Amino acid sequence: MIKVQNLSKKFADNMVLNGIDFEVAHGEIVVIIGPSGTGKSTLLRCLNYLEIPTSGVIEIADVKVDSATATAAQITNLRKKSSFVFQNYSLFANKTALQNVAESLITVWKEPKLVALKQAETILQQVGLGEKIHQYPSQLSGGQQQRVGIARAMAAKGEVILFDEPTSSLDPEWVDEVLAVMKQLAVQKQTMIIVTHEMQFAREVANRVIFMEGGNIVEQGTPKQIFEKPQHQRTKEFVGRSVKQNLSALDSAML
Amino acid sequence: MQMPLDVQYILELLPILLKYLSVTMEMAILGFCFAIILAVILAIVRVFKLPVLHNFAGLFISFFRGTPLLVQLFLLYYGLPQVMPIFAGVDAFSAAIIGLSLHFSAYMAESIRAAIMGVNKSQMEACLSIGMTRLQAMRRIILPQAARVATPSLMNYFIDMIKSTSLAFTLGVAEIMAKAQMEASSSFKYFESFLAVALIYWAVIEIFSRLQHYLEIRMNRAY
Ligand SMILES: Nc1ncnc2c1ncn2[C@@H]1O[C@H](COP(=O)(O)OP(=O)(O)OP(=O)(O)O)[C@@H](O)[C@H]1O
Ligand SMILES: [Mg+2]
Repeated sequence: MIKVQNLSKKFADNMVLNGIDFEVAHGEIVVIIGPSGTGKSTLLRCLNYLEIPTSGVIEIADVKVDSATATAAQITNLRKKSSFVFQNYSLFANKTALQNVAESLITVWKEPKLVALKQAETILQQVGLGEKIHQYPSQLSGGQQQRVGIARAMAAKGEVILFDEPTSSLDPEWVDEVLAVMKQLAVQKQTMIIVTHEMQFAREVANRVIFMEGGNIVEQGTPKQIFEKPQHQRTKEFVGRSVKQNLSALDSAML
Repeated sequence: MQMPLDVQYILELLPILLKYLSVTMEMAILGFCFAIILAVILAIVRVFKLPVLHNFAGLFISFFRGTPLLVQLFLLYYGLPQVMPIFAGVDAFSAAIIGLSLHFSAYMAESIRAAIMGVNKSQMEACLSIGMTRLQAMRRIILPQAARVATPSLMNYFIDMIKSTSLAFTLGVAEIMAKAQMEASSSFKYFESFLAVALIYWAVIEIFSRLQHYLEIRMNRAY
């Protein structure tokens, strides 16, 4: 359903993605892990064409875009097939929670305003924000803002939702409520590609884990394979380190 | 001893001048409306660096900021019809409005552009990520946020514009400054006449300054 072929991205002389290939099936939940500066965000942003790939073909559902021949119309079509949840929420500051979620329905999908607002309200109820629909982003906590961010991405009618470290800028107290919403989406078989450092979450929710380093996919497999029997040395080191960090975080939380 | 200041004369002159205030305000309001439309277009051309248009906009802004308004008005009203006869039919009132809007649009374009650039880049990305086009993003998300930032400075330009309409009397527009000038030269009471017109400008500007203050407070409450 999603097919990426030979995707490369270069910033000036810095090769950030080295010809990446992968596929994601409908309903699959893929978690991408890897060290900082490895190109995880760049990969997600290329899928949504927020970054124009240097080369490569991206196919989502019935839209196929080759960066060598991409037209503006093709890019807009491809963007409609995915939506993005940002690390810093990036909610529309001039719109209420309800308007944020309804925006794509009104502007992109041309739904009648009342229908759109009704749908948006239903989605906000699903993420537990039925009481907050008329608040502006500045009036919401980090966790609430990110749940609006997820609701906005859900409303956009894409085939896949891309998450770039959705809990990384949250105070620890808000992390769980955001992860809970994502787990709920997983139960509904929403296709998702998630970049995260939440290893426990990855173990529980992912169908597949991809370990990336230096702009390459080093290894991929089920959470069990990656976390318990990693094949590559680099994966072993990274996973080992992350588990230790998580354990020490757990320790300090218990103190 | 003669009174240094003929208060009675001023009091009689005020209502006469006030009748011409509508001409002044009409010029300022119409000029401001045209200026804002032009300024938004110029700002968008500059922000998106649209080919060719971008260079033209830069030249336009540079010229209208780089020369005095009075020179621009004279060029437009007295000069242009000589080389382009179609402009001969433009009356002084329209010429003044055109001149004012061209002049102020150049300044306003720069403050609108700065306001657009000041809107966080992530807002545009969020728009694109849900499938909006750049134009839709501008209209629905970026410009409304930029408008909030730009409003105080645009209001300042409006106030400036009200004052600048006084230059229209040099084209022969019968606005409040022209009337004061006429009254002064027939009564020889220059000080009183120009003091009267100054008082009127001052009062009008004071009203708009308060409105501006009130608007700013309201907008800061909005979100
Ligand atoms: N707009 C840009 N211009 C230039 N270089 C960039 C740009 N965006 C990213 N890079 C570079 O690309 C590389 C990969 O960055 P990216 O943000 O994709 O990494 P990441 O895996 O998401 O890291 P992190 O875990 O820290 O978020 C980095 O070296 C970064 O400096
Ligand atoms: Mg990143």
